[in-house]
Amino acid sequence: MVTVSVSAIEAELSEDERAGLELVRETGGIHQSDFWKELDVSSRKGSRIVESLVEKELVDREETVYAGHNTYYITPTARDLEFTLLMAGDMLSPFIGEEEVDPNSDAFSQWIMNLAYEE
Amino acid sequence: MAFEDLLEDPVIQKYLHELVGPKGMPVAAAPPDGEVTDEELAEELDLELNDVRRALFILYENDLATYRRLRDEDSGWLTYLWTFEYDNIPENLEEEMYRLHDALEDRQEYERNHEFYLCEICSIRFEFGEAMDFGFECPECGSPLESMDNDRLVTAMEDRLAALEDELNIDESADA
Repeated sequence: MVTVSVSAIEAELSEDERAGLELVRETGGIHQSDFWKELDVSSRKGSRIVESLVEKELVDREETVYAGHNTYYITPTARDLEFTLLMAGDMLSPFIGEEEVDPNSDAFSQWIMNLAYEE
Repeated sequence: MAFEDLLEDPVIQKYLHELVGPKGMPVAAAPPDGEVTDEELAEELDLELNDVRRALFILYENDLATYRRLRDEDSGWLTYLWTFEYDNIPENLEEEMYRLHDALEDRQEYERNHEFYLCEICSIRFEFGEAMDFGFECPECGSPLESMDNDRLVTAMEDRLAALEDELNIDESADA
């Protein structure tokens, strides 16, 4: 398998696709029936844009019922998440690599102290 | 090397370091394109074979590497061909964000519902009940325990919870 970097994929997007991706990222998630209206394109074109973004793995799509109709809900992929929210100062969430989450552990106390006093 | 754009992210570097440790980091930080054997990695990175295997196994346990086995027809030896699956890193970190969120919620509840006392000499914190049992004297050094205000902790947790909820689209009203 050859891995192509995401930024390289994004650079190849058409203007409509880029606007669509931007919209999904800004909203954090949007129904397909709102997607094409917001973009001010036809529903058919909207669906083609989503199709293409899904294929490039830039957005996720799942079936849902919205306002009484079957439609899709389109969300950004996990890649777009702000992973720095796992950090407190220079300390990573202490639950990483641990099976159990103990909210009263010393390591988590340290993490919270960092959060309160070092950010 | 593959997955360069992911590996540029300092949080992801830290995450891998947390999983495999300093000895495994040369393996985790330089995933090759395609399949590779543990021996090739050890040779290329000038590492002990055991350290390479340990790192690969940790990555495997975290869905970040897979292997297939090949049997050599002549010797009967098994060869493990490893593939790095770093496309799974974002989903793993997303899961960690949810775990952190839930822990923060629990901890915030605890911080709000308890009163704390502090030994300023030993930097040890006691719950009200514990402090009372010790007669408000530190069991380690005997200094008086002072009432401790944890507003700053609670506020910091509130802010991070709000940021996580916004990022993960968690609807708190639906949760209640």
